Amino acid sequence: MSLQRITRLPAARLLGSVCQQQLLLPSASPVSVSRRAVIQSPYRRPGQPKDDPPPWQKIKFDFSKGVEGIKKHFGLLKNEFFGRWVGPEGKPIVEHILEQNQVIWEFRGPESLERWTVSSDREVGGQSEAYLKLGRNSNTCFLYGTLCSTPPRDGETRYSGYCTMRSKQPLASFDRKKHFDWSSFNTLHLRVRGDGRPWMINIATETFFSHQKDDIYSYFLYTRGGPYWQDVKIPFSKFFLAHRGRIQDDQHPLWLDKINTIGFTLGDKADGPFQLEIDFIGVCKDYAHTEEFAYEVYKRNPEV
Amino acid sequence: MNCARCLSRLQSFGVLGPSAKSAAQYAALLQSASSQPPVLSNTHSQVLRRFHGSPACPKSRRPVPSDFVEAKKDKSLVAHDDLFERVAKEAKTKATFSKVVDVFNKRDVRRRGHVEFIYAALKKMAEFGVERDLVVYNKLLDVFPKEIFVPRNFIQRMFNHYPRQQECGVQVLEQMENYGIMPNVETKVLLVQIFGEKSHPMRKYQRLMYWFPKFKHINPFPVPLQLPEDPVDLARLSLTRIAGDRDAKVTVYQMPCTDITETGEEITLPHIVGIQSPDQIELLARHNTSRPVFVEGPFPLWLRKTCVYYYILRAEPVPLDEKVEEPYDPERCFDFPLQLNLDLQRDLGDDESFDMEDVDEGPVFAMCMTSQGDQATLNQWISGLQQANPVLGRVPTLFRLDAGPRELQRAADTEPGRGHRPDPETDARAGEEEPRCEPEPDIVVEEEPRRSQGMKH
Repeated sequence: MSLQRITRLPAARLLGSVCQQQLLLPSASPVSVSRRAVIQSPYRRPGQPKDDPPPWQKIKFDFSKGVEGIKKHFGLLKNEFFGRWVGPEGKPIVEHILEQNQVIWEFRGPESLERWTVSSDREVGGQSEAYLKLGRNSNTCFLYGTLCSTPPRDGETRYSGYCTMRSKQPLASFDRKKHFDWSSFNTLHLRVRGDGRPWMINIATETFFSHQKDDIYSYFLYTRGGPYWQDVKIPFSKFFLAHRGRIQDDQHPLWLDKINTIGFTLGDKADGPFQLEIDFIGVCKDYAHTEEFAYEVYKRNPEV
Repeated sequence: MNCARCLSRLQSFGVLGPSAKSAAQYAALLQSASSQPPVLSNTHSQVLRRFHGSPACPKSRRPVPSDFVEAKKDKSLVAHDDLFERVAKEAKTKATFSKVVDVFNKRDVRRRGHVEFIYAALKKMAEFGVERDLVVYNKLLDVFPKEIFVPRNFIQRMFNHYPRQQECGVQVLEQMENYGIMPNVETKVLLVQIFGEKSHPMRKYQRLMYWFPKFKHINPFPVPLQLPEDPVDLARLSLTRIAGDRDAKVTVYQMPCTDITETGEEITLPHIVGIQSPDQIELLARHNTSRPVFVEGPFPLWLRKTCVYYYILRAEPVPLDEKVEEPYDPERCFDFPLQLNLDLQRDLGDDESFDMEDVDEGPVFAMCMTSQGDQATLNQWISGLQQANPVLGRVPTLFRLDAGPRELQRAADTEPGRGHRPDPETDARAGEEEPRCEPEPDIVVEEEPRRSQGMKH
């Protein structure tokens, strides 16, 4: 029921609760027909025809790409095979069990930028721009662009003005999905240099049911601005569950055993240029942090 | 729960505010106009329907103030937006907005077309400047007729009783949430009266009241709601915000003023506010005079919705082979450390540092903010800095000024849809030390021997 969906608070609006920022996803107009589809289809921009090419038209043959693909995938397969002799995930088992810090993403060359996808509300018809490049000395990544919160005039979208940077799903050999296992860590550690804008960190995990496809665990990243680097440590117990941008009533802690992607989103209603520099993203284990979850898991239907 | 009783109790405690007073006045008017027994009336003109009650006073006897008579004349085909547009010709203030809502309320006790009116009002709120005013939202929620949409049994509760009105209520709360306004107990009472306790707007209110307090104070660098209007004060606030040291001192090198030159032209002098900490003064004093220092900028800093720009004075990082090791005292005992930083919340065996080398970017010596970022103004800043740091007179200063974000935007517009934009800055910076023949649009590079200026003092 669309009413039920709309009454839930959009997670990005919570940024707005204190900083007057903006909803990320377009929400339906007040008098829309409630879509009772069981499986929610991906967003289709209003006005785009529903194209569904038959399966035989989706195959494209290319010999050179095929040879490259074979080389790449068999190379990855070989690494995986020999990596198991060293230890789990290619690291010796002592290191795997006892390590307290692990750097997941660092930006040391242009190939590190290939692991990230940048998008903005251009896809839904807005006018924001977002670009990604390597920072000075090729040591950091620099996400910059402009936000513009005029909504596209398609009759459906009411809010606009966002941009995001999301990591690509790690792939094993033959394009199989690989997940991050952060079960021995409990804090996310970032080294960033922003311009004072509040960002949102979104972590997507591997889910089983297709309804859970857009489940994302989010939290806020407040930047200070200025020329100095900022170390941000966010424990995973603070991440709250949101589905399609709307925060959910039934909250549960983030499961760390199968993490797919991490992303950064900017959606405050302030039109203008933005920039964010990231040095590295790592996870660490903080023994002093004993909180399991920051939000209540009980009281599903509270009385007034 | 008897909402009417609760409301009257609140009224007596004075929680409801000015609307209660007007309601009380109106109730008194009612009673004087009609000779019927006193009826418990709601906040505005509508009378509560009770079990044994009936609408107390017929339309004809209701006293209508003269201002609203002409608005009511052509009420038959008036669309709701027109009401606002008519008022918009006068001043767009909270008072006129409230007047329009009152006109609508008094027009019809059944409030026909209230859903469209509320949607139109929500859209017009930003124009009238009342989008952050909780009183206005409560007034708007009050437009809903009370107790009609409350489901009376479990079947009505199951089947989304009065879905359009519930959706409208949810949209009012959603706009409140969009602007970050926390609802108060009057909102809750209104929602209970209008929609009942198990309705969608009530659920949304519960969610607002759960999540807003959780996230209200999580910003470790809070920005005040009311930023100072004076640019010098704003610069002072933002510089103390981005400074790395609490001991940093803010100095105003020039206040904004307008000068009239001999030819009669008016020149506006921009403000120049700088900040420097004692550690930075020390670092600058120890800086190798053969290596240049750079003035870089402008860098953006956002405070809520305002963007200010700051410039920094920094040096390039010293390459490894040139690093001078500080000599240690030969009589120093190494058994005990000179500084002991014990973090008692962490175990001694815990190593939380990452195995990454720090990004070496060179020390920052000072920062400044000015409204006009051209070289003349920054020169003035450097000469002001020189009074505390005499070494600046002997060190060459290079200016690495970006054209500004607006220029960057325009350049980006000409290359739409490219993910990794080729950056002229890194190419320009590589060849910076050499004298450049053609002016590069993004970078203004000039070498300035500061020695001559230093000798003038």
